[in-house]
Amino acid sequence: MRSPLAHRKAHMLHRRSFTLAATALAALVSLPALAQDTPLRVLVHSSFSLPKPLLAQFEAESGVKLSIIKAGDAGEMLNKLILTRAQPIADVVFGLDNASVAKAQANKVLEPVAYTQGSAIAQVGTNVVPVDYGFVNLNFDKAAFAKSGLPLPKSLEDLAQPAYRNLLVVPNPATSSPGYAFLLATIAGMGEEKAFDWWARMRGNGVKAVKGWTEAYYTEFSRNGGTRPLVVSYASSPAAEVFYSKEKISESPTGNLFLKGGVFRQVEGVALVAGGGQREAAGKFIRFLRSGGVQEALQTSMWMYPVEAHTPLAEVMKHAVEPSAFDSLPAETIADKGTGWVARWTQVVLK
Amino acid sequence: MPSRRWLLALVPLLALAVLLVAPVLRLAGEGWWGDLATQAPSSPWALWTDPYLRWRVLWSVLQAGATCMAALLLGLPVAWVLARWEFAGRSLVLRLLMLPFVVPTLVAALGVLALWGPRGVFSGWLDVNLQDTPWLLLYGNLFFNLCVVVRAGVDALEHVSAPRVAAARTLGATPWRAFWRVEWPAILPWLASSLCLVFLYCFAGFGLALVLGGQRYATVEVEIYTLVAHELQLAPASLLALWMLLLTGAVAWAYALIEKRLATPTRVQPIARQRPSRPAHCLGVAAALGVLAFFCAAPLVAIVWRAAHAGWDTWALVADEETLAALWNTLRFSATALLLATVLGVLHALAAQSSVAMRAAAFLPFVVSPITVAFGLLLLYPQWTASLPLLLCAYAVLAYPFVAKSLASALDSVPEHLPQAARSLGASPWRVFWRVTLPMVAPALRRGMAFAAATALGEFAVTLFLSRPEWATLTTLIYQRLGRPGAANGDAALVLACVLMALALAAFALIEGPRRTESPHA
Repeated sequence: MRSPLAHRKAHMLHRRSFTLAATALAALVSLPALAQDTPLRVLVHSSFSLPKPLLAQFEAESGVKLSIIKAGDAGEMLNKLILTRAQPIADVVFGLDNASVAKAQANKVLEPVAYTQGSAIAQVGTNVVPVDYGFVNLNFDKAAFAKSGLPLPKSLEDLAQPAYRNLLVVPNPATSSPGYAFLLATIAGMGEEKAFDWWARMRGNGVKAVKGWTEAYYTEFSRNGGTRPLVVSYASSPAAEVFYSKEKISESPTGNLFLKGGVFRQVEGVALVAGGGQREAAGKFIRFLRSGGVQEALQTSMWMYPVEAHTPLAEVMKHAVEPSAFDSLPAETIADKGTGWVARWTQVVLK
Repeated sequence: MPSRRWLLALVPLLALAVLLVAPVLRLAGEGWWGDLATQAPSSPWALWTDPYLRWRVLWSVLQAGATCMAALLLGLPVAWVLARWEFAGRSLVLRLLMLPFVVPTLVAALGVLALWGPRGVFSGWLDVNLQDTPWLLLYGNLFFNLCVVVRAGVDALEHVSAPRVAAARTLGATPWRAFWRVEWPAILPWLASSLCLVFLYCFAGFGLALVLGGQRYATVEVEIYTLVAHELQLAPASLLALWMLLLTGAVAWAYALIEKRLATPTRVQPIARQRPSRPAHCLGVAAALGVLAFFCAAPLVAIVWRAAHAGWDTWALVADEETLAALWNTLRFSATALLLATVLGVLHALAAQSSVAMRAAAFLPFVVSPITVAFGLLLLYPQWTASLPLLLCAYAVLAYPFVAKSLASALDSVPEHLPQAARSLGASPWRVFWRVTLPMVAPALRRGMAFAAATALGEFAVTLFLSRPEWATLTTLIYQRLGRPGAANGDAALVLACVLMALALAAFALIEGPRRTESPHA
């Protein structure tokens, strides 16, 4: 039997260790509260990237401390914003585009923002200040096409022909924003019924769907070790190939294929999160994103085109000439029908 | 007595409740009652009437079951060879069996693809393409889990009583019959417990299925992630998650029961190992090593091989500012997480001594997918989004079961009379623990901590969700590199994977310390 004294001692001991652990946890948890200088919370998608010195310079000059929060793919980011709208996780959001802005509007996660400076080439939609734009389209592997002797397809129709069997890989529109953009392009270019008819024939012709752009481009694209010489990617990707190439090269190993119904213009921008704070700092940050320094830098860090007219183009972007035409849909139509289209696509291509 | 145990259990239970259960419930609540419940399923059975979701669940069970079968069929003979034959390099092989545990999921997936992916080493030789087949995932599963069964098998076979086998043999039993009638019943519970573990790992695993499963062979965990993160359909996601919890909970409970029963402090005289003398014996040893090389070593060799051929320019990147910062983050996050995980793990293991429920509770972090947890945390504590303490606490909760599990089973086999003797001589419980129990279980504690450290080093899912750019770790850096075009980035990812692997290995070796003498029972 234990003596009551020993029992009390043991009790105290455990209490002490518990208190210790609890204090440690509490200290850890309260750490940020102590260090807080109320920074501007910026929510971004995982492709957001700007040179560190540029960000540091902004912080120093504006007196705004940035707290950048990466939230996954653009679609995931918007979903997080919607999920947490009762207690917003950020003050500003960067990376909503013309394909997703209406969903953001419908869920009331944005606050109106007035911005009239500069001369923007493209617009995202209400409440979003455009920052950059890019094109989702097909890329092809030059070496693979040269080797097979197959001519490049002249239209999406060609791709459904037996000669082009098993050549194309696309990211799933349900889980990837470029995949979604490409689906929207086919619908905009061919009309809904014809587009899904095309997708059904593409399924028969061995189109491969993967989860995201990374898998499509990095694993499946023949340029990077895969078996598919055609991939849904960006118009700027051939320039990125040159930029990141191991050896110095003067020509990109990949090329753009701008086909009718296969080009979508993505315009992304920055917006105020409804219920967020730090409005003055947010305004400074928005101006910063439209400033010359950022507009020039984003070309080779995010691989998008600057939205501010008269921004000099980066040298390497000569490998990524913009398409002369693209297909577009009104944001409201996308908001109304987007989810239904994705579900239909899953039915037609995957199930 | 029970009141004391519950006091011990308070901290880990609180951590589990706050960091695991509450977030999952919050997510489920959002799905069922929140204003996002646009298409709440009419009944909990709705899942089984949808052919697509039914296939997902069935496939998850199937792939876990198939892995268990394959791991048993391949692992038991290998374990038998390792336990019964003495050959040069045997202890090295046993030690290397720890390797897959230490390898981060992302690295393992890269390794499997380097072998079997399109243009992989084996795919080239054999002219096959395993992409979009179930084999990639099964191979990946075996990479991680074969060694679980082999290790359990070796331990079990070393606990078979030599006199009993000898008696059977002198009574005329053939070696096969002696194995079947004496050894098999003795090792069965060990194998069963390890198979439970394998099933849990495969069934609730996320990373491998995400990378290797493709669209068709992804598991329920991947489906939950897709439903929540991409499609914002919380109701079906939470329904799936609840069913998963039910299934994995049952397996975890079974594991806890078997393991509790397994713990016998009895000492047996183990069977002495023999040197292989006949060609058949040597062939057996070679075959066992071949199996291990094919399933457990090949993916790692492939990564090292391809990284070694990446060239100096790529390796120079190890010294650049970004990588060094990530390395520093990885180290300090893992160290903090390890500290927290050890505290939680020790308290949980002590509390789990008398309670099967407590034991099963230690599996909760294995059972709930990290992505679900991360999303729940985000929803429950939006004010702490991208706060370092939350990230580190999540790390710790995901890693601490390794400590708890390892320590709990070691505590079971501490002979009761030693602490009792110390107590009767007047030592306080704390002193008994510190001076008697702890030295006896120290190796197990260190091993658990080593696993926890390896888990924290390779943590990926939660980091992806709750991190900030300046907190980039090596895993996030690898993932980022994979997301950029150009061969240089692909090579960079491989090199970083190599660095991460080396780091995990070093941490493991450092924490686990030199292997204690071969057999503790000799």
